[in-house]
Amino acid sequence: MTDMTDEPQQNTPTKLVLYVAGQTPKSMAAIRNLERICREKLPGRFAVEVIDLRQQPHLAREHGIVAIPTLVRELPTPIRKIIGDLSDSEKVLVHLSVGD
Amino acid sequence: MAIDDPDMMKREMKELQIRLAEAEDIIRAIREGEIDALVVRHPKREEEVFTIEGGTESYRTFMEAMDIGAAALSPSGQVLYVNSALSRLLGVERETLQREGLTAGLDAAAMQALEALVKRAHNGRSHCEIRFSQNGDERHALIHAAPLELWQDRGVALSFTDITHRMAMEQAQQSEQMALAILASAAEAVIVCNPLGIITHANDAVSAITAEPVTGKPFAEVLDLAIKAGGTEMQGGEFIRHVIRGHAYQGVEATAPSAPSARDLLISAAPLKVSGEKIAGCVVTLVDLTRRKIVEKQQLLLMGELDHRVKNTLALVLSISNRTASTEETIEGFRSAFSGRMRALAATHNTLAERSWSSIPMRDIVLTEVQPFEPNIKAKLTIGGTDFQLLPRAAIAVGLIVHELATNAVKYGALSSEAGHIEVSLRHDYDKPYAELSWVETGGPHVLPPTRTGFGRTVITRSMQYSPHGGADLDYRPEGVSCTIRIPAEDVV
Repeated sequence: MTDMTDEPQQNTPTKLVLYVAGQTPKSMAAIRNLERICREKLPGRFAVEVIDLRQQPHLAREHGIVAIPTLVRELPTPIRKIIGDLSDSEKVLVHLSVGD
Repeated sequence: MAIDDPDMMKREMKELQIRLAEAEDIIRAIREGEIDALVVRHPKREEEVFTIEGGTESYRTFMEAMDIGAAALSPSGQVLYVNSALSRLLGVERETLQREGLTAGLDAAAMQALEALVKRAHNGRSHCEIRFSQNGDERHALIHAAPLELWQDRGVALSFTDITHRMAMEQAQQSEQMALAILASAAEAVIVCNPLGIITHANDAVSAITAEPVTGKPFAEVLDLAIKAGGTEMQGGEFIRHVIRGHAYQGVEATAPSAPSARDLLISAAPLKVSGEKIAGCVVTLVDLTRRKIVEKQQLLLMGELDHRVKNTLALVLSISNRTASTEETIEGFRSAFSGRMRALAATHNTLAERSWSSIPMRDIVLTEVQPFEPNIKAKLTIGGTDFQLLPRAAIAVGLIVHELATNAVKYGALSSEAGHIEVSLRHDYDKPYAELSWVETGGPHVLPPTRTGFGRTVITRSMQYSPHGGADLDYRPEGVSCTIRIPAEDVV
């Protein structure tokens, strides 16, 4: 597991879980894109946990992960999943309900 | 499902809608290539990750299968990955390269080039060539470098292509081009044959030996040669067979009877060894001796002629010496007369030598002989008539006669007084067997015929008598000496 937590702010950051499969290109792209979105658009809003399902495949069960990479926003409910390499920043921001 | 509970049913519907949306999103993501791995739930085992395409392992497997050396460097230049092809290329264990870096396989100069390349590669693709040593052998590699996206930063991907063989081929090609240029530029004819005696290369100079194209044809067939080697005479084919069997020849003479121009040749030949001791054919150089042979014949002729002339001249000198001694009464008289005659002889010789002993204009002989006696020659001597050229034999004799006439004129005749004058006229009628030189003195002292016949008079009257058409008539007229010299036509050009 890798902690991508941004600089701490006053409010507790929302936890995001990014499921990857080792260093596949889409996994690496998803990590890179999420890091960029968080840094540029949402500084301090999210704490990201990266889970490598190659190392720990059983963790896929917790969020019913089928496709990799997948980003999971647990809270607030309902749970949101964003499937793919997160290259579409607007789509990511919509799914994370930013600006609501 | 409890259908009598509308709220629960609503929640179930909502969840189903979410799962359906998720399933549709997965299908979309697969179709659009946004994912490259799936989690597969095995009935008996736990979940497994199945890589759809391009996983790290696949990449590594691919990189390992390649012959091209590959390496990935971190932003700080640390080796992250090295494939086995690069390990083989550098001759260094992969673990060592990963632990110590590429410096474990490259020397300082190569590392300097590589570091400069890596620096450039952070801004875009670039490449360079390096030279390095692998187990003592010099090798060359072409390195391509490209930026490599890594977590939060950029590394560099390197690919190493072994271009040693290509460089060797290029050098071999350059060497061959150089060899061909040398072959083409050689002044001598150079022919290269393969082990079968077939001509593979021949330069332009070969055209002097045979007019037809020779490349691709047997040496023996296109070059009609009679070669004198080792005391025997052999034909071209036999000669080439000897050379291809390993026998070298240095400067053997040969003749090419049917050659367009180069008929006398000097041949050298040696087996051609491209690598090691194996004979790959032979190289034959043929030097054209035709001109040298002509020059040698000319030299022989000249030496014979020189020998003949030296003997004649010595006999003439001896005769002049004896006759001068017999007619002069004092040593001083002998010394003066003899040295004067020697100077006259030498003057004609010099003029002949300047003209390569070919021929001399009559006018030049007269001027050469009279000038030493009379500084004001233009006023005292007039030469008229049509000039003609004399061959050496007549030139020497006429030179001596004119010398004697001039000596007499200085002592007793036209050149001994202020008013004296000599009129020389030349005449060559082609219907007569001789040419004429007429010497007429006027204005000098009254002339009395000599009381005795001196050597000078003998020289004048007899020098031309080597031919029935030659001779001289001397007349001591009171108003001045006159002399008519007849030069045989065979000595007149």
